[in-house]
Amino acid sequence: MTSVADSGAGPQTDTHFRDPPAQAPALTARSAGLVACTSCGRVHRPDEPVCVRCGSALSSRDRKSLQKVWAWLVAGLICYVPANIYTMMRTSMFGYELDSTIVGGVIDLIEYQSYSVAVIVFFASVMIPIGKFIAIAFLAYSVHNPAILGGRARQRLYDVVEFIGRWSMIDVFVVAILSSLVQFNFIATINPGIAAVSFALSVAFTMLSAQSFDSRLIWDADEIADA
Amino acid sequence: MTDEFAPGDLDVQAARPSRWRNLSVVWLVPVLALAVSLAVAWRSFADRGELIEIVFQNAAGVTAGETTLNYREVVIGKVEKVGFTDDLEQVVVTARVDKTIAPFLNSSAQFWVVRPEVSASGVSGLSTVLSGVYIEGTWDRSGGPALTRFQGLEQRPLIGLNNQGTRITLQTEDGSIMSAGMPVFYRGVAVGRTEKPRLDDSGAVVLLEAFVEAPHDRFLTTATRFWDTSGFSVSFGAGGLKLDVGSFATLVTGGIAFDTFFSGGQPIESGQIYELHADRSAAREDAFSRASGNVVTLATTFDGGVSGLSPGTALQYEGLKIGKVSALSAFVTGEGRDMRVNQKVILEVEPELMGLPDDATLADVLDLLEPAVEAGLRARVSSANLLGSSLIVELVEIEDAAPATLDLEADPYPTIPSVQSDLKDINATLEGVMKRVNSLKIEDLIEQAIRAMASIEAIASDERLREVPEQIAGILEDARALIGSEETRALPGELRDTIADLRATVKRITTDGVIERLVSTLKSADAAMANLSTASDEFPALVADLRAVVAKANDLKAQELIESATAFLDSADALIATEDARAVPASLNASLDELRTLLGELREGGAVDNANGALASVRSASDSLDRATQNLPELTARLDRLIARSEDLVTAYGTRSDFNAETLSMLREVRSAARTITALARSLERSPNSILFGK
Repeated sequence: MTSVADSGAGPQTDTHFRDPPAQAPALTARSAGLVACTSCGRVHRPDEPVCVRCGSALSSRDRKSLQKVWAWLVAGLICYVPANIYTMMRTSMFGYELDSTIVGGVIDLIEYQSYSVAVIVFFASVMIPIGKFIAIAFLAYSVHNPAILGGRARQRLYDVVEFIGRWSMIDVFVVAILSSLVQFNFIATINPGIAAVSFALSVAFTMLSAQSFDSRLIWDADEIADA
Repeated sequence: MTDEFAPGDLDVQAARPSRWRNLSVVWLVPVLALAVSLAVAWRSFADRGELIEIVFQNAAGVTAGETTLNYREVVIGKVEKVGFTDDLEQVVVTARVDKTIAPFLNSSAQFWVVRPEVSASGVSGLSTVLSGVYIEGTWDRSGGPALTRFQGLEQRPLIGLNNQGTRITLQTEDGSIMSAGMPVFYRGVAVGRTEKPRLDDSGAVVLLEAFVEAPHDRFLTTATRFWDTSGFSVSFGAGGLKLDVGSFATLVTGGIAFDTFFSGGQPIESGQIYELHADRSAAREDAFSRASGNVVTLATTFDGGVSGLSPGTALQYEGLKIGKVSALSAFVTGEGRDMRVNQKVILEVEPELMGLPDDATLADVLDLLEPAVEAGLRARVSSANLLGSSLIVELVEIEDAAPATLDLEADPYPTIPSVQSDLKDINATLEGVMKRVNSLKIEDLIEQAIRAMASIEAIASDERLREVPEQIAGILEDARALIGSEETRALPGELRDTIADLRATVKRITTDGVIERLVSTLKSADAAMANLSTASDEFPALVADLRAVVAKANDLKAQELIESATAFLDSADALIATEDARAVPASLNASLDELRTLLGELREGGAVDNANGALASVRSASDSLDRATQNLPELTARLDRLIARSEDLVTAYGTRSDFNAETLSMLREVRSAARTITALARSLERSPNSILFGK
C-alpha cells in the first residue's frame, strides 16, 4: 500500500480510527505546529525544508495537490477517449484484417461465448478506469464538500483506488504479450493499435492522479468540521 | 507534547498571491494530451479519403470495413458501407478512397470485384480465396473531371485501360461459339483477347470487341481478315475426311485468328470494324474479293439457264478472283418456238484486284476490258475445281471466238459477251491424261516383240533349219542384230537382264485379264489424283500436278511392260541357243544353250510343231495385249464414269448418306459435349466459388 497515512502517527491515531469522532479530536502534526515526513513519518519543525531522516521534501500540506489530481485526471480522461475510439488490437489472419476496439473486443468475446474472459476484460478496461475517474473526482471534490461521505469511507475509497488502479493495465499487457507472441506473418499476426498507447497513458495518468492526492486533506476537512 | 510545541500563528489562508502563479506545472500534461488528441483527430479527419459509390449487380464477398479498394494491386481505399439502390435492384458499395487518388477517378474509371477465377485459359485471383475479395479499379487520364459515383463491372475487363494496343470490332451473324476472353491468334500466337459478344441495335449482327496488344497490332491493316478458329472443323474432300482441332483452349472457349493475305492494306484506326469469317479459307477468299470497297458493276448474259450459279459465285480472271456474282436474273428472247430463256448475271468487279488504282472508276475498267474483249475475252461459266460441282464465272481469252464487243450501252450495266460454258473441261483433261497413257510405246514394243517372234518363228519353221543347223549361227547373227538394233537399244531400262519376265507378264495378262489390271492401275492413278487434289486451291496448278503424277504413274507401268518385254526377248534368246553361242555376248550364252537343246529336239523331229504352237500362243497373247491396249479409250470412259461416281460419292457425303448422317450425329455429340464443357467453364468463370463451396 502506498497510501499516505495521516502523519499524526501513534496510539492516538489508532484510537482515533477506532473511536467515533465524537471523542476529542486527535492531535495532528499540523495542529501541533509540526510537519510530518510523508515518507518515513518523522515530524519536524515547520521551518525544516527536508526530512533529516530520509531526505524527502517536507510540507505541511501540499497546496497544489488538488490541482495535480485534477490535471492528471483530465489528462487521463482525454487519453481515454481515443483509447476507446481507435483500434486496440489489429489481428490479421490469412489476409483478413480485423481491427478491434476495447468494447468491440468485449463484444467479440461474448460472441465467442468466452463470458468469463469478457467479464474480466470489461471490468479491467471499462469498469475500473471509469470507476477510478469517478472515485478520484469525487475524492477531490469532497475535500471542499466533506458532508457527502465520512472521512473513513473516503479513506477506504482512496485505498481501493490506489490498489486497484494498476489492474487496469491488464488489457495493455494482453495486447503486448499477444503482439509479441503472435507473429506468424500471413497466417496470423497481432499488432497493437494506437488505442493501446492511449489506454496505457490513460491508466498511467489516473494512477498519477490518485498518487497526487494528499489523503491528509480528507481529515483536514474533518478537523474544520469538528472545529 | 508540551506547550513549547503549541501551534504558532500559521496563517494558512494568506499565501495565495495569484491564482495563476499557484497553477501546477502538471496542468501542462492534460493540455498536451488534449492538443495531441485534437491534432490526431483533426489529422485523421483531414486525411480521410473521399467517399465514392460504386454500383454493382452483385457484390458477393464485399464486406463493409474489410474489403479494400485496390489500384494496381495497391490498397487505395476501403469499403465503408454496402447498401442498395433505392429500388433494391443493385448494390451500392460506398468506399473511402485515398485523398490523393480521388481526383483521378473520372469517367474512364472501371471497378470490378476480384474473385478467384477458374477458366479454360487459366486460374486467377487465387489469393482472394483466403483473403476475401477486393475491388480493383483502373482508369486513365482521358475521362475528364473526377466523379464520385461509378457503375461497377461484373467481371474483370479483359482489356486493361493501360494496355497498349488496338481495339477493333468484329461482326458476325452467329455468336454461338463466341465468349468473352477468347484468345486472338496471329499465326498461332495469342496476341489479344476478345470482350463479351453483344448484339447490335437491330439484333441482326453480333458484335465482338477485341483487343490486339501492341506491338502485334501493327499487323492489322485494311487487308486483314479475321476468322473463327473455335472448336474444330471437319472437312470432307477428295483427300478424305479431315479433322482440324486447335488448342484445348480454343476447343473450349473458342478463338479468333487473323492474317493479312496480301500486302497493300492501309493502317487502321482503333475501332475498325472487321467481318468475322467462318474459317480461314472463307477469310482468304474474302480478302481477295474485298480489297477495297470500290466496286464497279458489269453484266453478262448466258444463253440458256446455267444451273449452279448463285450470288457470291467468284469471278475469276487468269485464275485470280477479281469479283463476284452479285445477282442473277432471267430474261426471255425470241418468240414462239424460238423462245429461249437467258440468264443475266450481274458481276461486281473490284478494279484494285485487276491491278487498277484503288479509286479506278467504271470507265477505267471498261478501258481495260474493251480491247481485251476485242481480242477475244469472254465470260464463261466453268467448274471451280476438279471434283467439286461448284461453279465460277471466269473471263477467258478465247482464241477463235466469234467477234463481239463490250456492250457499253446495255441497260443497266455494260455487258461482257459470253461463250457457251465448257463444263466438259475436266473430262477433256482427263481424256488427255488417258491419251498420254494410250500413246505410251507399249504397242511399239509389243509389235517389235511380235515381229521378233515372227521372224524367229519363220526361221524356226524353215525346212532348211532342220537340215542345216549350222545356219543357226546366221540366225543368231540376225537375233543379235535385232538385240543390238537401235530400237532395242532405245528401250529404257535394263533390257537384257529382264527379258524373261515378259512371258510371265503376258501369261498373267491373258489369264487375269488386262482390263482389270489396267482398271486397278487407273484406280491407283485416280487415288494419286485424289491425293493430289486435297490441297486443291488453284485449279491449273492442280491439273498440272495431276498430269505430272499420272504421267509418272504411267511411266512406271510402261517400264513394267517394257521390262516384261525385255524378259520375253531374253527367253527368246534362250530359245535359240547354240554351240556357237560362245561368239555372242556372255549374257546370251546361257539362253543359247537352251536353244541348242531345243534344236536337238528339232533335229529329232516332231518338236518344231510344239515350238510353233508355243510361239503362236505367245503371239496370240501379244495380240490380246495389243487389243487390250487398244481398249484404253474405253477404259478412259470407264475412268470418267469412275470419277463421276466418286464425285457422286462426294456429293452424297454432302447430302444424306449414312456416313454423313453418322458423322454428323457424332460431330453433334462431340459439339454438344464441347458446349457442355464450355458451359461448365463459363459457369465456373462466373462463380468460381462454386468449386470451393460446392454449390
